Amino acid sequence: MIEFKGVHKTYNNGIKALKDVSINIEKGEFVFIIGASGAGKSTFLKLMMREEVPSAGEVIVNDFRLSKLKRREIPYLRRTMGVVFQDFRLINNMTVYDNVAFAMRVTGSSNTAVRKRVPYILGLVGLQNKARSYPPELSGGEQQRVGLARALVNNPSIIIADEPTGNIDPELSYEIVELLTEINRRGTTVLMVTHERDLVRMFHHRVIEIREGCVVSDRRVEEKKPTLSSFEADAVDTTGIFPPSRKDGFDYES
Amino acid sequence: MSLSSLRYLIREGFRNIWQNKFMAFASIGVLVSCLLLTGASYLVFVNIDHSFEWVYGQNVVVAFAKEDCTDEQSSVLLDKIKGITNVNKVEFISKEQSLLKYKDSMPKAVYEDMQGEDNPYLDAYVITFSDLNTFKETLTQIEQIPEVESTVYNEDMAKSLTRLRQIVMMVGGWIVILLLVVSLFIIANTIKLTVYSRRLEISIMKSVGATNAFVRIPFIIEGVVLGIVAGLLSFGIIKIIYGKLYEMMGTGIMGGLVDFSEIWHIVLLGFLVLGTITGMTGSGISMRKYLKDEGGISGVI
Repeated sequence: MIEFKGVHKTYNNGIKALKDVSINIEKGEFVFIIGASGAGKSTFLKLMMREEVPSAGEVIVNDFRLSKLKRREIPYLRRTMGVVFQDFRLINNMTVYDNVAFAMRVTGSSNTAVRKRVPYILGLVGLQNKARSYPPELSGGEQQRVGLARALVNNPSIIIADEPTGNIDPELSYEIVELLTEINRRGTTVLMVTHERDLVRMFHHRVIEIREGCVVSDRRVEEKKPTLSSFEADAVDTTGIFPPSRKDGFDYES
Repeated sequence: MSLSSLRYLIREGFRNIWQNKFMAFASIGVLVSCLLLTGASYLVFVNIDHSFEWVYGQNVVVAFAKEDCTDEQSSVLLDKIKGITNVNKVEFISKEQSLLKYKDSMPKAVYEDMQGEDNPYLDAYVITFSDLNTFKETLTQIEQIPEVESTVYNEDMAKSLTRLRQIVMMVGGWIVILLLVVSLFIIANTIKLTVYSRRLEISIMKSVGATNAFVRIPFIIEGVVLGIVAGLLSFGIIKIIYGKLYEMMGTGIMGGLVDFSEIWHIVLLGFLVLGTITGMTGSGISMRKYLKDEGGISGVI
């Protein structure tokens, strides 16, 4: 589904963003990608969306071999994935309905298909009653659910969420990840980039940590006793992925 | 492309214009002034050409035959004149015809006195030249024919008209080219502003997998609509102004002005084609540049 084979990425200004990254993500997986800002997470996503090309190595997404992809084929690669942004990227002078319908219209869907699909997706993210609202009238969490609805509306096989909880109140962040988990349960592969380790710990998904352009750990958060608060979890650290020495590597700013 | 998409794209094109009213207004204004100047140059040119035809018609050399010419000599003279290379047309006007022409402008008694032998007019040959550059040489040839008594001509007007036409063609041509470049630049900038005000939408479009063509079409439509509106406006303005001029100058001097009804379709078509091409090229330029340099998904805002 998503495969990175010995990928290197060096930008024109000499910055080495990724160094020999090899990752394999199967269909139906839920993967957190964590790392400090500047660790290479964004580059990872850009390579997946074919906004950038690797300096060496190969990226394969949904059977698209990205190094061989022609420019005019890029849109068709992107139609197989839905992207959720940290800053929501909603169009403020369009209603919630139109924001979601927009993604369908610009990929050439018919009006009939739009009228059928958009209400269904809005129902899925729990916004059926907000269809006529405008984004500024919504809370951050609701806005991000609109973003999620837009990412989902073209029925992609992969959802890429780039810090989707970065601009949302912590208590609402959980809801978003839960929604992503629900979507994942329905068969969509989910890739979520984040630096909120508390959040990561609450869900038992695969976690890939990138640091200074390298994959430094790739493991699954084990089931733990549900009674533990995050503070206690921190103290116990059953996951093993946050050894104290690495904590300072995280970016706590939102 | 489906009908839904086409409708959507056209609506978006118009929405672009509406959202960017001020710049749309400005670019239509500039394009209109450009088209008006282009149109004016064209009209001046057409009218000079028109006058030219008139002057050619007027700019004849009239050769008078000697008074004692017999009919036979007259026809020999006609052949001789026709035989000169640079002669385009020769019209023979007998002295009787000349007299007849002025019949109404003189008292009847005088007219009757002038009949037959007493006719004061001479047989005349109205000669038009093909090439005015060798005017002098041709004239000399005519004057050397023994049967020719004298010639009358007006050379200067033809010469100055030829020069005027060349100047208008050159100056007009350059002005038009210059203004088209300016219009192109301004339209490209207008579209660039719309593109910038919609860069969030463009980035979303690209992230959900809209093709570049789909991203581009609304902006192309915007440019074309600006061009067409400017074309129609210019046509209306020039029609009114030219109409007023025509009323004032009418069919007066130098053969008068060309009737607008003879040329309106050329003017309208020219304006629409120029407007559309400028609008389309202008938006093409800025979209191409934007999609190439900055049209990414991330890092837009």
